[in-house]
Amino acid sequence: MTDLASSPAASSDPSTAVMTRAYRFWAPLYDAVCEPIFLAARLQAAGIARRSGRRILEIGVGTGLSLGDYDDGNEVTGIDLSPEMIARARERARALAHVRTLALMDAHDLAFEDQTFDVVVAQFVITLVQHPERVLDEAFRVTAPGGTIILVNHFRSEHGLAAGFERLVAPLAHRVGLRPDFPFPRIAAWIAATPGASLLARDDTGPLGSFPIVRIGRRAGPLQGE
Amino acid sequence: MTDQHAPSRPEPRGIDPKFLALLVCPVTRAALDYDAVHQELVSRAAKLAYPIRDGIPILLEGEARRLEG
Repeated sequence: MTDLASSPAASSDPSTAVMTRAYRFWAPLYDAVCEPIFLAARLQAAGIARRSGRRILEIGVGTGLSLGDYDDGNEVTGIDLSPEMIARARERARALAHVRTLALMDAHDLAFEDQTFDVVVAQFVITLVQHPERVLDEAFRVTAPGGTIILVNHFRSEHGLAAGFERLVAPLAHRVGLRPDFPFPRIAAWIAATPGASLLARDDTGPLGSFPIVRIGRRAGPLQGE
Repeated sequence: MTDQHAPSRPEPRGIDPKFLALLVCPVTRAALDYDAVHQELVSRAAKLAYPIRDGIPILLEGEARRLEG
């Protein structure tokens, strides 16, 4: 494994092993718990993704809830780290002609050629991985020039009552593989440090705007130094 | 659990060749060779064979079989 000297991980970044274990328990419950909470953000993200390009990669496709949000105008590839989750996604995908394939991968080391996808979607992923900047690097690598990365996340509330509550439950949430203490400025810092990346939009969705959809563009044309 | 194997046919739903062409070894990012008999994706550069289980390629270093020599 590569040592990630370039990404000073916060002490709260969960290990991959913790995440794999957590999702083994989550897989059977995931749809019932997450579908209603995340539905609005998920549908909006898929709508943006459908319009943004044909070849779509879903990082952290999970049980495949989002696979049905795409249509024949798209070719969707889904990856996840959890065999239990992807087995469920596979059952869903059987009926969907636009799902090209599913694979088990670690988002830190994607097994795709550079510039393979027009759109890379990561819903509720980036705040949960061990090295978020490394995952963003990988998402960017497999995005074609002119393509888009779409992140859906809960970011830490910076003000008010919600902020206090989130700090209170953070240690508990962390144990089951959730992390409500991820600050948006960490994404902004990655964009600033990545040549060719730019923040296209940040749309707030969900209750109290709690699930922002962040769109990051990859500039068309060759990057400097490539 | 859905049972997808018929006794006489080993893999009713093979891997899409167009998809295979996009895959690389997650360790070396070198090309992979598809071994249809053993249902593995072989990275010669890394000396690793990644399994394909139930039609799902498992491109994780920890799940790969080490190749001799």
